Amino acid sequence: MKRQTKNGKGRAWKYWLALVVIVLGIVLGHYNVGREFLGFASAGNWLIYVGVVIFAVVTLQMFFKKERITDERTERVGYFASRVTFLFVILFAFVVMVADGIKEIIIPYSLFMSYLICGIVLVYFVTFRIMNRRAV
Amino acid sequence: MKTRIKEFRAKLKLTQEELANKVGVRRETIIFLEQGKYNPSLQLAHDVAKVLGKKIKDVFVF
Repeated sequence: MKRQTKNGKGRAWKYWLALVVIVLGIVLGHYNVGREFLGFASAGNWLIYVGVVIFAVVTLQMFFKKERITDERTERVGYFASRVTFLFVILFAFVVMVADGIKEIIIPYSLFMSYLICGIVLVYFVTFRIMNRRAV
Repeated sequence: MKTRIKEFRAKLKLTQEELANKVGVRRETIIFLEQGKYNPSLQLAHDVAKVLGKKIKDVFVF
């Protein structure tokens, strides 16, 4: 009868991910691969930073994150939010193509992708929150 | 779709939170169910009816 989430169970792999990212950052930093990356001196430094942030976020979630139940309605809301987000990506890609045709967009690929990922996360989050307040 | 969840829940002196915990869903889902704004799956309808000690046809009015 219970439809509980897997919250709290997938923590181990997040710690592993943080560890892998940090080790990768150290390796890249050691071989001095990639310079001036997203405001960091090197790509290795950036990866170390990301790894530490993942580690910190997962650790903080352990203390502060509320146990949330995922039931059939929230799954449905998530499905709709995913569809809206997908539509956003398609529209955004179209706008970028047109804008690039009018005037060339000069932006580092890494920066563009980071903006895009932030945008996707934001759109999904906002859509989910809005639709969660409706019955769906 | 109309439901009689609120009525049966009141008879059992269950809060929305308690019913939600027993069924394994969020409280919001129970709220939407009571308001008739959400069509549950057969499984959820069965679970709610079971907790309320009624038949599905008594709880959910089609």
